[in-house]
Amino acid sequence: MSGEERAVADAPEHALGRWAGWCAAAAAALFLAFSGWQLWQAETDDDLAYAAARDTVLDSGKRHLETLNSVRSGRIEDGLARWRAASTGPLRDELRRTGRSDAATLAKAGTTARAKVTDAAVVRLDTRSGTAELIATVHIRVTERGGAPTTDRKRLTAGLERTGDGWKLRALGAVPAEGAEGGDS
Amino acid sequence: MTTSTRDVDTSAERTAETDAAADADPAADVRRGQRPWLRGRLAARRTRRVMLAAALAVAVLAGGLMLFGAYRLTSADSARNHALTDREATEEVSGEVGDALAKVFSYTPDGVRTTELDARRLLRGEAATQYRRLYGQLRKRVTEQKLTLTTRVVHTGVVSLDDHRARLLVFLDQTSTRDGGQPSTAAAQLAVTAERRGGEWRIVRLAAR
Repeated sequence: MSGEERAVADAPEHALGRWAGWCAAAAAALFLAFSGWQLWQAETDDDLAYAAARDTVLDSGKRHLETLNSVRSGRIEDGLARWRAASTGPLRDELRRTGRSDAATLAKAGTTARAKVTDAAVVRLDTRSGTAELIATVHIRVTERGGAPTTDRKRLTAGLERTGDGWKLRALGAVPAEGAEGGDS
Repeated sequence: MTTSTRDVDTSAERTAETDAAADADPAADVRRGQRPWLRGRLAARRTRRVMLAAALAVAVLAGGLMLFGAYRLTSADSARNHALTDREATEEVSGEVGDALAKVFSYTPDGVRTTELDARRLLRGEAATQYRRLYGQLRKRVTEQKLTLTTRVVHTGVVSLDDHRARLLVFLDQTSTRDGGQPSTAAAQLAVTAERRGGEWRIVRLAAR
């Protein structure tokens, strides 16, 4: 440093400015560190991740249950494709096997069914293995060709599995009253 | 170096006399056209200041965004709902509500009074009103026709749960018998709202599903 340069550096106004600058920089760094830590804590919080997974399972489950309990007369092929898209594993295999004859039966009867999930709750969730179970109640409005619509109430249990394409149904069953006859959806 | 800026600015004469005072405000020198080499250093200083201010602004903005992100994650609806995340509380409310339903929806011709007392203890608010209306009609028939109803909980799911309030979906099987006749079982599904009062869960609303 030459004498002139030192003169600039040592000027009191500059020293004060520099001090304020350092303080501001330190405060900003602290604030940044604090907020980063807060975000990291929130993002790595197991409970929060688990709660988010639970809600995702519930939303996907409801949507898929409605899909699998709905069919539109005249667009049965389309409906079957959507059934397969909402399912995975054993349920998907079953739909693949029986899909043809189901479609034929439905087409013959001219059935239109619209399902609405009236309530649902996740009863088990294992985020590690990617499996979950939920229970749900559905109202299904069924219209057969020429017939008046009827409303069917069902209570169901569903098993879900995490796939590369989100949570899908792997099992589906009606919960009949004890002694009454039950069956798959 | 106590000479103030104004002194230096207003008195060129004094500045010429005292070098130290002049050094105190190089900007003044530059403005007067003296020491032209200082201009570069001052420009550099100004650039540094602008950069520092920009860096500070970016830091504050980034920090604010991160805090907002953290707030959104921790205050989301899913975060406030403790169903399943708090296993103990979930099991507790499931158990208590299930027991309560089994009690108030089970009766025998000799146990009408017990059922009534249970209902008075376990049901509150709207649920209590609903129940009284229903049971008031039923009570006479239960003793006259010797009706028995047994309610069993098949599945319980907690939809939402916090410290004071819970929403549940319950599947019930109800077996009824009339005076030693053949029992028949029917399915019932209830959406239940419960509130925690004095450390215990009480049912405040019932709706068929």
